[in-house]
Amino acid sequence: MNSTRYSRMLVALAAACLLWGSAASAQDQPAAKAKASSIQIAMVQSDEVKLPIEFQLALYENLVEQIQKTNKFQHVYRDGDKDAASAPDLVVLHSNVYGFKKGSEEKRQVTTVAGKTEIKVHVQATDKDGKAVVSQDVQGQVRFIGGNLRATLDFAKKVAQVLVNNFQ
Amino acid sequence: MKTRRVVADLFVAAVLIVGFGALAQPSFAQDASTNPRSFPETKVVIGLEGFKPHAKGTLSAENGELVFKKGKKKVEIPAASITDVLTGKDSERAIGGTVGTMTMFAPYGSGRFLSLFRNKVDTLSVEWADKSGGVHGAVFTMGQGTSWSAKGALLAQGAKTTVPLEKEIEEQTQPKGKKQ
Repeated sequence: MNSTRYSRMLVALAAACLLWGSAASAQDQPAAKAKASSIQIAMVQSDEVKLPIEFQLALYENLVEQIQKTNKFQHVYRDGDKDAASAPDLVVLHSNVYGFKKGSEEKRQVTTVAGKTEIKVHVQATDKDGKAVVSQDVQGQVRFIGGNLRATLDFAKKVAQVLVNNFQ
Repeated sequence: MKTRRVVADLFVAAVLIVGFGALAQPSFAQDASTNPRSFPETKVVIGLEGFKPHAKGTLSAENGELVFKKGKKKVEIPAASITDVLTGKDSERAIGGTVGTMTMFAPYGSGRFLSLFRNKVDTLSVEWADKSGGVHGAVFTMGQGTSWSAKGALLAQGAKTTVPLEKEIEEQTQPKGKKQ
């Protein structure tokens, strides 16, 4: 009697392990990559925090430059570009800054630990129907070498990498 | 006798050098005052196609255009297409570029000491639309106290702004504690 109960328990445990294993392997498989031949970069917004105009423009310009460098898209359109309307499979990249800390280059160089500049941005790429294809938080920062605006380049490079990982 | 002659020659040379210096100074000042629409020693921080970051040149506002020129290279932006011009204040390392970065690794903390020397600069941010409507942005740094004149000159050429110049001057001249 005892052995039957024991074997039943073993079977149940094995089944649970199998189920868990298959679920884990499904998660490990890379998600299907989205397809888009063109991307439009919307001007960076900052609804929650006050972002200096030079940071807003630097974020936007660095995004355009870094995404062009990836060669992932045939066309990289700027915000407001009329030609983007005729692009067949266009995605629009929206960036909204929700955290900003302007550090100090002087402090960084003198102390090497203080004065970090940090920008936190929610990035979303949407298709023509407005469906989010990519939605992620990305941080840009400068800890040691470089001026405060270098954080915008760090952010743009990370976003470009996110797009490379998520698009065919 | 010979020594006296050499001393006299040196004296004359010194006077000539000082004289040239004194003459050159007012002529430069005259240049700046007679042409308030030209701003030499302006640096591109980002956003100007064809120019690398930190390229130093002359920004001018004339003939209905913003012109940035360095040597033979030139970028012209129609002032009418400029949708926003904003000024700001910042500071930059007195010793910049690669040399400035290298000094950070100088021994006995001398690099850190050198990084205490900083120059105050003005920033000028410009946003415009190209022919197909695409938005562009550029950031410049220029000598302290010159960005307001540059903004004024651009507005006079037909550029637009979201913050009037008077308001910016008022905000930036307020003591830090009073800023909102």
